[in-house]
Amino acid sequence: MKLNYIYEIVLFVVLVLLQTLLLNRISLFGIATPVLYIYFLLKLPVGRNLYYVITAAFVMGLIIDIFLNTPGMNAAATTLVAAFRKNILGLFFEREGYDDFIPGINTAAGPFVRFTIFMVLLHLTLLFFIEAFTLFNLKNTLLRIAASSVVTIPLIIALDSLMFRRKPGEQF
Amino acid sequence: MRNLFNFIIRNSHWLLATLLVAFSFYLVFTHNSYQRSVYLTSANHVTGWFYSLSKDVTSFFHLKKNNQLLLERSAELEKEILVLKDRIDLLTATDSLKVNAFVSDTLPQPQFDFIPAEVVNLSFSGVNNFITINKGSQHGIKPDMGVISAGGVVGVVSVVLPKFSLVIPVINPKFRLSARLKNSENYGSLSWDGTSIGEAQLQELPKHEAFHKGDTVLTSFSRIFPRNLIIGFVSSEGRSKDDNFNTFNIQLATNFYSLQDVLVIDDTYHEEQKMLEETLQR
Repeated sequence: MKLNYIYEIVLFVVLVLLQTLLLNRISLFGIATPVLYIYFLLKLPVGRNLYYVITAAFVMGLIIDIFLNTPGMNAAATTLVAAFRKNILGLFFEREGYDDFIPGINTAAGPFVRFTIFMVLLHLTLLFFIEAFTLFNLKNTLLRIAASSVVTIPLIIALDSLMFRRKPGEQF
Repeated sequence: MRNLFNFIIRNSHWLLATLLVAFSFYLVFTHNSYQRSVYLTSANHVTGWFYSLSKDVTSFFHLKKNNQLLLERSAELEKEILVLKDRIDLLTATDSLKVNAFVSDTLPQPQFDFIPAEVVNLSFSGVNNFITINKGSQHGIKPDMGVISAGGVVGVVSVVLPKFSLVIPVINPKFRLSARLKNSENYGSLSWDGTSIGEAQLQELPKHEAFHKGDTVLTSFSRIFPRNLIIGFVSSEGRSKDDNFNTFNIQLATNFYSLQDVLVIDDTYHEEQKMLEETLQR
């Protein structure tokens, strides 16, 4: 259990650095930006305390906001996603008795992919709509959501299959 | 009653989420005036330090290209020096017929001073694009100073901290600049519509202004930039908001993807001009 928290903190820091120093400089065709840090929310154990999940998500969003000069935008989107995480998990995974279960491509490929797609779409939709609150046209916003999802989802799935190559059944 | 308490306790995480989201939105809406939450920006110490560190690594990969640009720039300046030398020779020539008695013997104080700075962070993936530079109030930078690169106009300084400052670039929807076409005296307003990082829009041009691909766009009256700095080149005809004006798309002269070295313009007359204009307004 203790190992779990250390692993989560490392993942948190790595994802923040990756997002701010590398991924946010990428802007494919001017519309698609990979938003990878949501991966942190995907990889928390199913039964993790909700206050912990929501607070961690908020702090992560806020740190990214501070780096990107967009105070509030990432924090709001990420907190909202974290708040609904448990409900969304219920849509794709069997919940009872699996509190320590960490969603992953190796343990449950199908549900994990669907779960990822849903979470990323939700997060990016919130993020880009908050960002575009007053300024830009709907078409451009929708295009950016779609393009960024297309870049982000394969990246998350690839990252997950690279990082967690362990025997089936083995838990972290 | 107990059921009610149970309900509240069971769902109190929603309360936490609501509070945090509300706080986030508070940040979103108050930050529209940039000056307020200065410390929640990439110009603060910690983030600034991080960005300088990563900058040291990445700048290495741009060395060759930037060298090329610097060489071109120095060649240009060299040329200017030659022209100016010629002028000086002409003015100081002993057999000149002109009386130069009233020419002052010191060089005039130049109006513009340039502070070189390095870009430590560029964020332009979203609509809120910013540039962080590694010079701040310690180096004499003040808000509302213009920033240029070897290519052309970059942006305007918005937030200044002791060691870092934040620049709003041309490619930020909040950026506005009065600009004109080189071959005509009509001027319009330069802004960015968020579609492409290499392109801005020159709006509110008179209807009769003809479209010529490749026309140079220069700065016009501005408290921030000297006149006739290059902004970009006309690339295509844009969509106007109404029929009374023309809008052109402008290919920006500054390449924001590889921006590294910038100059901050210190207009020594700025204070005086501002004071004068404010007295008139009163």
